[in-house]
Amino acid sequence: MDRGLSKLGRRIKPRFLIGSGLIVVAIAYLIISSIRSTSEYYLTVPEVSARATELRGQSLRIAGRVKPGTIAWDPSTLTLRFAIYPIPPAANSTAANDSIKPVAVDEAPSFSIVSQGEPKPDMFAPNRDVIVEGKLEPDGTIAATQVMTSCPSKYRPAGAK
Amino acid sequence: MPDLGKLCLLVALILAVYSIFANVYGARRGRGDFILSGRHALWAMCAMVTIAVIALWNGLLRSDFTLEYVASYSSTTLPTVYKFTSLWGGQQGSLLFWTWLLSIFTSIAAFQNRRRNPDTAPYALAVMAGVAIFFLFMLNFITRPFDLISPVPIEGSDLNPLLQNYWMAIHPPSLYTGYVSSTIPFAFGAAALITAKLDDSWIRSTRRWAIFSWFFLTLGNMFGARWAYEVLGWGGYWAWDPVENAAFMPWLVMTAYLHSVMIQERKDMLKVWNLALIGLAFSLTLFGTFITRSGVISSVHSFTQSGLGPYFLAFLIAIVTCYTALLIWRSPDLRSPAEFESYLSREAAFLFNNLVLVGIAFAVFWGTIFPVLSEWVRGVKITVGPPFFNRVNGPLALALIFLMGVGPLIAWRRTTADRLLRSFAAPVILGVSAGLVAILSGIHEWYAATGFSLAAFVLGTIIVEFRRGVSARRHMVSEPPARALVNLVAKNNRRYGGYIIHIGVLAAFVGIIGSSFFKVEVKKSVAIGESFTIGSFSLKYLGLDQHENAHLEQATARLAMMHDGREVTVINPAKLFYKRQQQPATAVAIRSTPFADLYVVLAGLDDNGNRATFEVFLTPLVFWLWAGGLLMAMGTVVVMWPNVRERAAIAVAIGRSRAEEYAGEAASGGGR
Repeated sequence: MDRGLSKLGRRIKPRFLIGSGLIVVAIAYLIISSIRSTSEYYLTVPEVSARATELRGQSLRIAGRVKPGTIAWDPSTLTLRFAIYPIPPAANSTAANDSIKPVAVDEAPSFSIVSQGEPKPDMFAPNRDVIVEGKLEPDGTIAATQVMTSCPSKYRPAGAK
Repeated sequence: MPDLGKLCLLVALILAVYSIFANVYGARRGRGDFILSGRHALWAMCAMVTIAVIALWNGLLRSDFTLEYVASYSSTTLPTVYKFTSLWGGQQGSLLFWTWLLSIFTSIAAFQNRRRNPDTAPYALAVMAGVAIFFLFMLNFITRPFDLISPVPIEGSDLNPLLQNYWMAIHPPSLYTGYVSSTIPFAFGAAALITAKLDDSWIRSTRRWAIFSWFFLTLGNMFGARWAYEVLGWGGYWAWDPVENAAFMPWLVMTAYLHSVMIQERKDMLKVWNLALIGLAFSLTLFGTFITRSGVISSVHSFTQSGLGPYFLAFLIAIVTCYTALLIWRSPDLRSPAEFESYLSREAAFLFNNLVLVGIAFAVFWGTIFPVLSEWVRGVKITVGPPFFNRVNGPLALALIFLMGVGPLIAWRRTTADRLLRSFAAPVILGVSAGLVAILSGIHEWYAATGFSLAAFVLGTIIVEFRRGVSARRHMVSEPPARALVNLVAKNNRRYGGYIIHIGVLAAFVGIIGSSFFKVEVKKSVAIGESFTIGSFSLKYLGLDQHENAHLEQATARLAMMHDGREVTVINPAKLFYKRQQQPATAVAIRSTPFADLYVVLAGLDDNGNRATFEVFLTPLVFWLWAGGLLMAMGTVVVMWPNVRERAAIAVAIGRSRAEEYAGEAASGGGR
């Protein structure tokens, strides 16, 4: 109705804008500073092997596939050792399952993983896709803080829609 | 039956398209007969979708493996209950379920508004029909629940074991109900923008829908957390996974909306903000579906990718664009006459609470899409995990809890220092002493001590509010205190129901602090007869029982649980193995008390069960998270309870807006 009276309709007093602005700035600062301090690289096996020297000592998340014949599990000390190799490209589709042939596993780059003090994940098995969280050690192995198995194809997420 | 289902979905799509046309044409030309027929089309659409749902249920219950969906998500040995819940166990079924809920809610809204809101209702119904068209289009052409499979398998591949759980039977329906019912306030908001009827009648008419949506979003999130806690066996309940974030963001925005509409109802302010919030809440429900279905964002529990992503993204962009354009178009008419007067006013507290809630939602959104953004911008995928979300949201949660204590106690417009002192003296003393007790009893984390102190302060303010109300009643109508309390809540259900919800939030907050800061974890591999300790508990591995049926194999450990040297009970964590899907699962043993939960996972078996690995968590106060959820739900029921006074207020408001309209028409002398 009074379109001409106040052009922008700024009826909130300036000091409220200041208060609101401060809150917005505080939230933005929290987000930016937290992103800096908590971010991790999420990489695939070939990416890690290509940049191994630069990533040494960094926190990483690596997606890979468990290499058959490399698994050693010692239940009394909860030590799990295995190696991961790259996930073949086709395996990303919904059709991914356990029957994919390990093509040329031996030539592909791989990393040895050592996980200590954690139980073996339920679905851990040769040729399963896993996400490993941990640090790249100077000797090229990865000291895992967490090993997560991704679920076979039929899995629907918790909030599935 | 499958053909019938297919046919019904097609007819439903046609009806939805027709309904848009009839509603819009009817409303523009003032043709009541078209509006009526548009409404009837929606009811017919609902009937069609219902038949389709029954057809799919029929297929599931009869294990009709000619249907691809049944073959993929069910099996002959699946317990009947889970055959029933398989309806939302897979993608096509869950979209069908979503559409069904949408058509039911739309029909109810059409019925409620058969006389109410004659100007806006046809447009609102057209918007709902538009949303339904999208889902029906998906079901008819993109992801069809009634597709056949050949060759027909003898046995289905079963429902995922993790979903064979009673929480999974109720978690998705709650969440979907919450998601879908947000469509109705959104549609009325959009209709208000389209028709330029921008008073608060759209808010009043859909207030109960918004609360209904919030209620189910709350339950959905709580059930999901509880499911994760009981089923996934990692001792936690929330991992800031994209899938969880997708359900959490609409809840946050809806919470903000429910608070800020109070300012519009009282003070006629924040009109643009409210319309923006409901648009945001609805968009976030679509965004959630998009990220979980598209595979754009990798989540530990959603490695499934499907071709639905682009469709949802396109629909989402279309909705956001149209709605934003509408808002901008109408923004000159949305200025409000009132203004903020003082920082020490309830509307200021509400405004800040809104900023913080939306800030949390934005932080969650940013953290969720950050890997995608960093990959686009810098070519490297960088993830942020739970530490990011906790660092950002921790301080914001404290601010929110603080505002929750302050808001209700200060008056609208402005408050005097004197009144402040009287209202806050007791709660502040309570809060400070709780903080001191926490520090003296050895809690050194500043966050936890501050959190407990703030929770006590806010609880104090709520008690002050209840006491005030009760004593006021007792002055007026001498009643015994208990009776006065009941009447107080019954007569002012919106207000005191809200306080009950706040108490629930406090309880949940205390549970979250307890479980985040004081959780103890022990992982141990023991042989039969050996024992180990956690906190003041000691656990002795007694042995293993194994049994097997057609559906699954189960290995159950027997553990004697000792507390301070006395045997309390025997607990039975188990490992399950589902035969059809060749997949293991865990059955956690939880011993819960208000002080702490003892949570025992049978993590591994070696040496034929003579040796077992256990993962044990001692989680203080987590009980209060679930109790808080229950209180929030109860408080919401109180808020939603029909209230005679409110009905009268709605009638008056509607009457008023009609009167204004006539006055407006008379003044403008004929109008457009």
